Amino acid sequence: MGRKILLVEDDRETAAYLSKGLGQEGHSVELATNGQDGLFRATDGSFDLIVLDRMLPVLDGISVLKALRAAQIDTPVLVLSALASVGDRIEGLESGSDDYLVKPFSFAELLARVNALLRRREARVDPADHRIAVGDLEIDPLSRSVRRGGKKIELKPREYLLLEYFARNEGRVVTRTMLLEQVWDYHFDPGTNVIDVHVSRLRRKLEDGFEKPLLHTVRGAGYMLAA
Amino acid sequence: MPTTLRIALLAGVLALVSNLIVLGFIQLRTHDEAISEQRRQVVEQGTVLADVYRTGGMPALVDGINDTVTYGDPQSAVALFDGKGKLLLGNLAAMPTTRGPVREGYQSALLRLEHAPPHEAAIVAHRLPHGEWLISGRTVGYGLALRETLERSLLIALIVAILLGLICGIILAQFVGRRVGKIVAVTDQITGHDLTRRIPVSRGGDAFERLGRQINEMLDRIGGLMDELRMVTDSLAHDLRSPVSRLRSAAHAAAEASDPAERDQQLTSVVAQADSLMRILTTALEISRSEAFTSRSQFSRFDVGKLGGELSEMYEPVAEEAGAALRFHQPQQPAELFGHRQLIAQAISNLVENAIRYGATGETIDVTVGEDGRRLTVSVADHGPGIPEERHDEALRRFGRLDSSRSNEGAGLGLALVRAIAHLHDGELVLEDNKPGLIAVLRLPLRGP
Repeated sequence: MGRKILLVEDDRETAAYLSKGLGQEGHSVELATNGQDGLFRATDGSFDLIVLDRMLPVLDGISVLKALRAAQIDTPVLVLSALASVGDRIEGLESGSDDYLVKPFSFAELLARVNALLRRREARVDPADHRIAVGDLEIDPLSRSVRRGGKKIELKPREYLLLEYFARNEGRVVTRTMLLEQVWDYHFDPGTNVIDVHVSRLRRKLEDGFEKPLLHTVRGAGYMLAA
Repeated sequence: MPTTLRIALLAGVLALVSNLIVLGFIQLRTHDEAISEQRRQVVEQGTVLADVYRTGGMPALVDGINDTVTYGDPQSAVALFDGKGKLLLGNLAAMPTTRGPVREGYQSALLRLEHAPPHEAAIVAHRLPHGEWLISGRTVGYGLALRETLERSLLIALIVAILLGLICGIILAQFVGRRVGKIVAVTDQITGHDLTRRIPVSRGGDAFERLGRQINEMLDRIGGLMDELRMVTDSLAHDLRSPVSRLRSAAHAAAEASDPAERDQQLTSVVAQADSLMRILTTALEISRSEAFTSRSQFSRFDVGKLGGELSEMYEPVAEEAGAALRFHQPQQPAELFGHRQLIAQAISNLVENAIRYGATGETIDVTVGEDGRRLTVSVADHGPGIPEERHDEALRRFGRLDSSRSNEGAGLGLALVRAIAHLHDGELVLEDNKPGLIAVLRLPLRGP
């Protein structure tokens, strides 16, 4: 299931590290080292994902992104940036990127986001109202009801959103920051373990009375829902 | 002193220009008046003689001419010429020279009086029924002489005025120069890095005193900012030392570890320390961004009541695990604010996290959003140990963490960030005593669009 990823990054070390890591995951990575080259390669629309550094020589990342979107190329774009303030993140997202990751990041975080974006592209053909099943867990997005082994599980609205996000990324690592951004829509870094507390509550509701765990903790990265 | 010279020259030039305007006006008026007076006299004399001829005939005219020549002032000229221009009577030597041929009425001409060089004059010519010319006129010599005297005195007045202007200018320039000089002396010392100097000001209210006072106020502000900057830089450097040294020792331990499990543990700690460092830097950056108002372009309209509810719901389980019940009190109606949703969310969550971290022993934490039409308040109240009143200011300052043991949680930037976010929205963050406990109140003015 290797995919074509365009990496636009001028820092040689970061580029080598990311190419190697994404390559090991089975993706084929093409590298562009400045914004103009990146834009040129991206315009043929053959990539499944573009990983775009924000600060680039010749043409900066945001300009590349705007030019791509203006040319109706809707390849998912993950922006990498050393600009970490909340305002910078919002600006990055508003200029048409699908995700924004602040440097420095762990490779696990990047990989989780890359996979989520690739998955989202695949899932586009599925209508959102299809039932989702993970093992013996069944989720109905229309009525927002959840059953496990036929038994109904009562969830609060936010817990449901959390579970649905996990389910849509079944078998993939989801990081805490991704959850905060995607489920709660906050783009700052909370100082406490607030996400962990919510995940462990959800886990209790899903797993109490069942033998098989569903919601797994992935050390150093985040969580994963898998049967 | 080029400034003095410039001011003096400017005053001189101003005196010159204003005097020239006045002189020009005088010149114009006197010239016009002299000309019209002369014309009146000439026309009157001619008309009188013509009337004399009409009523008394040639003998009366001859008498009239003779009388005028005898008793009139030396400037007046009167003569009768025959049709061919030969002098019949009067004090002119010859027919006046005019630009064209002599015609009826008022005109200017060159008159030749007896025993005198030709004179410029204004004349009136009348053609009598038998072809004779009655010429009557006045030379302008007197008027000219008067004007020359006038012009000479005006020129002298002009020179005197310019000199006076220059002198005034020099005096004024020296006064200004002295006053400005004092200010310049102080600012010179300040540019030479002595920020403690101030411009001496008395109680007077003139422009120089005001300038001095304003510069002093500016210096006070710059001094304050520099102190704060120094404090922040010092604290940042100081606060980064401990995570950096922890990072360093964890990395060292990982390198030394022979047991893979222990190495893994140390490496995890390295990453955690690096993350904590990044968090401090990001927060410090966020504070300066907020204070520089760069994120105002991302303002939008949103309901703070709803946001407060969502955040309370988010933190409710965290508070519960820490042993406190978090309660949210909603406003009666939607509390809409034009502001930065993400930053306000961060501010509220910082306050809630603080309350959980330091006040969870107090069993309840109350988050309240209220609105009174003019401003919006978000208050977070706990019943923990609180902060003594006299240390509230310190708690709000950057790195002003009250517990001296700088453990790994936070860097004392939380409240400073909330305050910076409040400032970004023209609001304020106030700490109050909950007896016992702490109330942090975020007050934000409601405004357009």
